[in-house]
Amino acid sequence: MADMNNAALDTLLNVLKTSGADAWEVTDEEEKGWEFYFIRHSLDQHRVKDVRSFSVSVYKKFDDCLGRAEASIPSDASEEEMRRIVNGLCSDASYVRNPFYTLNTPSAAETETKAEKIDLESISGDFIKALASVPETETEDLNSYEIFVSEIRRRFLNSNGIDVTSVYPSSMVEAVVNARKDGHEIELYRMLKSGTCDREQLTADLTEALTYGRDRLVTVPTPALEKMDVVFATDPSVELYRFFASKLFTSVVYRGMSDWKIGDMVAPENMTMRAVRSLSNSSRNFAYDEEGAPIRDLTLIDHGKAVSYMGSRQFAQYLGMDSSFIASNIVVDGGTESAADLRTGDFLEVVEFSDFQVDLITGDIAGEIRLAYLHQGGKVTPVSGGSVSGSFPELSKTMRFSKESRQYNTMLIPSVTRLQGVTVTGIEND
Amino acid sequence: MKAPFSSYLNGIAPGLKELITLLRGRYDYVSVLSTDSDGFSVTISQRSRNVSHETIATERGTVVRVYKNGLYAESAFTGFDPAKAKETFESITRELDAQLRLLNANGVKAYETGILPDEARTVFAEKETGRLPKEENISTLVDKLSAVSDQGMKDGADKGLKVIDFHVRASSTHVCKMFLTEHQDLRQSYVFSEGMAAALVAGEDRTEMAYTSLSGLGGPELFDHMEDKIPEVLRIAKDLISAERVVPGEYDVITAPEVTGLIAHEAFGHGVEMDMFVKGRALGADYIGKRVGSDLVTMHEGALCAEDVTSYAFDDEGTPAGDVTEIDRGILRGGICDALSALRLGVKPTGNGKRENFSHKVYTRMTNTMFDSGTSTLEEMIASIEKGYLLEGMQSGMEDPKHWGIQCILDRGYEIKNGKLTGKVVSPLVMTGYVPDLLGSVSMVSTDRESFGAGACGKGHKEWVKVADGGPYLKAKVRLG
Repeated sequence: MADMNNAALDTLLNVLKTSGADAWEVTDEEEKGWEFYFIRHSLDQHRVKDVRSFSVSVYKKFDDCLGRAEASIPSDASEEEMRRIVNGLCSDASYVRNPFYTLNTPSAAETETKAEKIDLESISGDFIKALASVPETETEDLNSYEIFVSEIRRRFLNSNGIDVTSVYPSSMVEAVVNARKDGHEIELYRMLKSGTCDREQLTADLTEALTYGRDRLVTVPTPALEKMDVVFATDPSVELYRFFASKLFTSVVYRGMSDWKIGDMVAPENMTMRAVRSLSNSSRNFAYDEEGAPIRDLTLIDHGKAVSYMGSRQFAQYLGMDSSFIASNIVVDGGTESAADLRTGDFLEVVEFSDFQVDLITGDIAGEIRLAYLHQGGKVTPVSGGSVSGSFPELSKTMRFSKESRQYNTMLIPSVTRLQGVTVTGIEND
Repeated sequence: MKAPFSSYLNGIAPGLKELITLLRGRYDYVSVLSTDSDGFSVTISQRSRNVSHETIATERGTVVRVYKNGLYAESAFTGFDPAKAKETFESITRELDAQLRLLNANGVKAYETGILPDEARTVFAEKETGRLPKEENISTLVDKLSAVSDQGMKDGADKGLKVIDFHVRASSTHVCKMFLTEHQDLRQSYVFSEGMAAALVAGEDRTEMAYTSLSGLGGPELFDHMEDKIPEVLRIAKDLISAERVVPGEYDVITAPEVTGLIAHEAFGHGVEMDMFVKGRALGADYIGKRVGSDLVTMHEGALCAEDVTSYAFDDEGTPAGDVTEIDRGILRGGICDALSALRLGVKPTGNGKRENFSHKVYTRMTNTMFDSGTSTLEEMIASIEKGYLLEGMQSGMEDPKHWGIQCILDRGYEIKNGKLTGKVVSPLVMTGYVPDLLGSVSMVSTDRESFGAGACGKGHKEWVKVADGGPYLKAKVRLG
């Protein structure tokens, strides 16, 4: 089983210190997990997980360059095997030279952050009870679901003296919802991530899915709408806001996949986006990022204007930043209109896509409609089929969003977002 | 050369057999899968370079599967000490018993399943490879890929392209897996490799990423001619920069082999994964023996169908690799199945039980999913279209096995008018449709075919595994947006 003592880590650190590496980083990650798989409400199988591995980066310094190579080292590797891998990394690092940068150094912040007692049995019990009591009907129910509950312990050390540990819970429910009518059955898919079990939120999310399943059965083909206002109020909204955040990653900017500059207007003028260290019941609430940098609250976009990049220290330094961190939670706010105000006039509210994507480089959006509500002339019609597409950088110029928020694990974003003039390809006229 | 089997796995095998004996005292069926797979991934561009010895398939660990009273359970762990089999046994049973107490306290009933067979069998398979990842000279490879990146920048500029960066990636993995039961001892070793070349180019008002890939069963020798990919990447880049938006509608199209593969994967790849039949999640279960495509459509699935990234000797449940005829001249003949789903459905497993890695559950998963070739030439197919597109480049796909909807996001469409390519390009494209309509519209199939294994496949939005898919050029009717 996963070796809980530190002997293996001590051996690895000794190997690194005597390897000739000019610098190094180690992440020692252990995951203890309980998993339960259900078909309907019968148990398909149950699983336990107890795994540990070391991720190691080795650096070699040259005049104006830094070489780096990385590997995962098994926790049961012998000292001889560790030495062979680390020596290989030292050799590789001398060939893979990048412009010079420095590793993180110890901060004054706490060295260990730990969530309150993480009890896998108790959290698992909460999920099992919550899923058994979702308000199913004779025509809308859960086809199958999978419960994953983990305690993750991550210790990061580097040759500059950082030694920090984060212990946190991470959970996920994957659920498939069925709805049937007149011999026809459809399904909807949900992947819901969180820290622990929020029974109220889980029930609300799955109840919403059951409702959408019912409506999916009474849809008519989406008409050819050509250009239409489209409203997003379910998880595809996340992809819209993730686009703004991703364009500000240091690695994306440095590599030329984003031309966003600090001070540019990049979003609607009322939009503010912040990275936050902690978000209620997020599965990524920890104090240090993967490179040992303390995570803090940081404004990324202030009233539409880009004010800070975030992300990997290497690329941050290339962009001239003194410090940076890899954000884990994002909050977007600034909406002045109510969700109800955004749902006026004619519009198409798409609540289920086959898959909805926003291309990081081009900003092109695309998704096939599985369920949408067409609001036209005061009438609401559930529709299905066809697709939406367009250029998000263009569409975001007139984007409107609500003052109310909704949380999707690590993202707290406006609950309703409206894009004007989206291309909607229908299928009615075939 | 033969890819040598892991000495680490050989070393822990006696301890694992002792663990199996201990567990058999408490459980009616016990199997163990242990993995030890190493590799490398080298990524080179003008702006950054990276060498990692982790790939999508590198791993080391063990998973134990046990069966008692109609219920299966698993324990996945690292750090197995063959001298401490009894301690491992106690730890496994303690944790699984705690889970059972929780389940019983909540009144959870088991989905009753029969016991897996355990007939005596021994396999020792070491597949051929040119070179091994662990013996590759990384310095030489870095130099080679750097030269490709430099040449891509230069050639792009010569063609009048504003190339922001030219990326090259090479990844190779040596997979070693050992499957043990009371009566079975299966060991396999093989190497697969995959690479990518991509150009990030700027146009007047947009930036595009053009890419192409390569993959295969074998070692880093696959990358010996990476420079051959440069002209193709730059041709795609030029096309993307000049592309227009498509006028949404239904069109006659010709799908290039990578797009054909995406259709195979999304349409009757996921659609006939039979763990979905167990859950009543796939419409395909009701269509066995019925027509789902035109007479020209024949499709195979299995690790034996092609030599690519997932052409193993046995799957993660010890089932031998297979070759399933899923569609035969338009008629759906059958699906693919993991061992537990096969028990539940009363059919034979097909060698498609796969895990993301040792710590994940088995699901029914694809391996090589391929359309068969036909009798037409590409030239004949283009000449047959009055107005339509030749579709190239895949970005992503999504299926709906319950409703047979399909969504494919594609890179490029080359306009065809009056039987000729006009030179006009449209991008990006969302191809949607109803699977039987799409396959039913297939009216021409080319003589050649290719497989593509540089991507990964998820089940839902998780459980990422290597797969390959492909086929010939197909002429069909689809909706583009």
